[in-house]
Amino acid sequence: MRQHAGTANRVWLTILALLCLAAGAYLLLLASGTAGASESPVLSGPPEEVTGAGYAPGAVLIAGLILGTLGLWWMLTQIPRRVAADTFRLQENPARGITACNPSVLAAAVQDDTDRIPGVVGSTALLRGTAEAPDLTLKVTVNAWADIREVMDRIEGAVVPHLAMALENPLHSLGVQLEASNKQGLSGGPVTSGGTVVY
Amino acid sequence: MTTAGIQDVRSTAARRQHLDAGDRGRTVLSRKVLEKVAAQIVVDETFAGGSSGGFLGIGARADLTARPDAKVELAGNVASLKVEVGLPYPVPLRQATNQLRDRISSRVSEMTGVEVRQVDVTISWLRPAEPDDGRRRLL
Repeated sequence: MRQHAGTANRVWLTILALLCLAAGAYLLLLASGTAGASESPVLSGPPEEVTGAGYAPGAVLIAGLILGTLGLWWMLTQIPRRVAADTFRLQENPARGITACNPSVLAAAVQDDTDRIPGVVGSTALLRGTAEAPDLTLKVTVNAWADIREVMDRIEGAVVPHLAMALENPLHSLGVQLEASNKQGLSGGPVTSGGTVVY
Repeated sequence: MTTAGIQDVRSTAARRQHLDAGDRGRTVLSRKVLEKVAAQIVVDETFAGGSSGGFLGIGARADLTARPDAKVELAGNVASLKVEVGLPYPVPLRQATNQLRDRISSRVSEMTGVEVRQVDVTISWLRPAEPDDGRRRLL
């Protein structure tokens, strides 16, 4: 249901690994004497000689800020987040008008539909993608009385076709996460009966 | 009444018939009237609805019998409408909103004489259609 920063993690870990690899290779070259005498210091003079006398504190400060910002950004990307689709534009004809529908409206309808399945005590739907190729992620909480096979059949046989009919496009992908709970099911409303009352 | 009096009345009526519509007066429709007409058409003549209850839009609930929000932009005798409606679920949304758009355009033009050029539809909620309980409804 939530998106994690997998790609960012892989990219940064690769960059760090390459830097560590380069540093390790340099140390090996230093130790073997290929890169020069190991006794000589990395900086032969004070750091001001590299940056210039007046710029050393500023350069260190800027480098620290850049590293700090990158570190903070990386930490923030670790927070899992829901990435929903933008508003679906079902029709876009300037001459006649546009039709727009927020994916959360469709997700609420899908949840209503799912909650009517016997044994389901709650559900959360999230739509991603586009109106032409929607991706649906559905988290369904069922209780002990639920028949899992029946719940899945009802999702695939009614809930998903209803959404596909509303959008007039088949789903691009469907993800269902089932959870078990000991909560009671929905109490439901009054039922109608076609029976005859005999006095 | 005398014969002369009857002739006077008839001649006045005849004179009025000869006057052009523009000379007899002017009918001015405010934007609000058009908005209400459009919203009422949606409730009375289509399957769409609006929202009712709540305070400043907070806590409003889906209601197929409520008038939806409608906004009108007028440019002379040409109007552009924006309506925010709720629809029963499941229905094919493109087809349903196309029918809604056609209905609003034709009926608003027919009732007010204003040409409707564009109708933007925003779907604000979708609710499963209530099952028919077999009872007769009062019209």
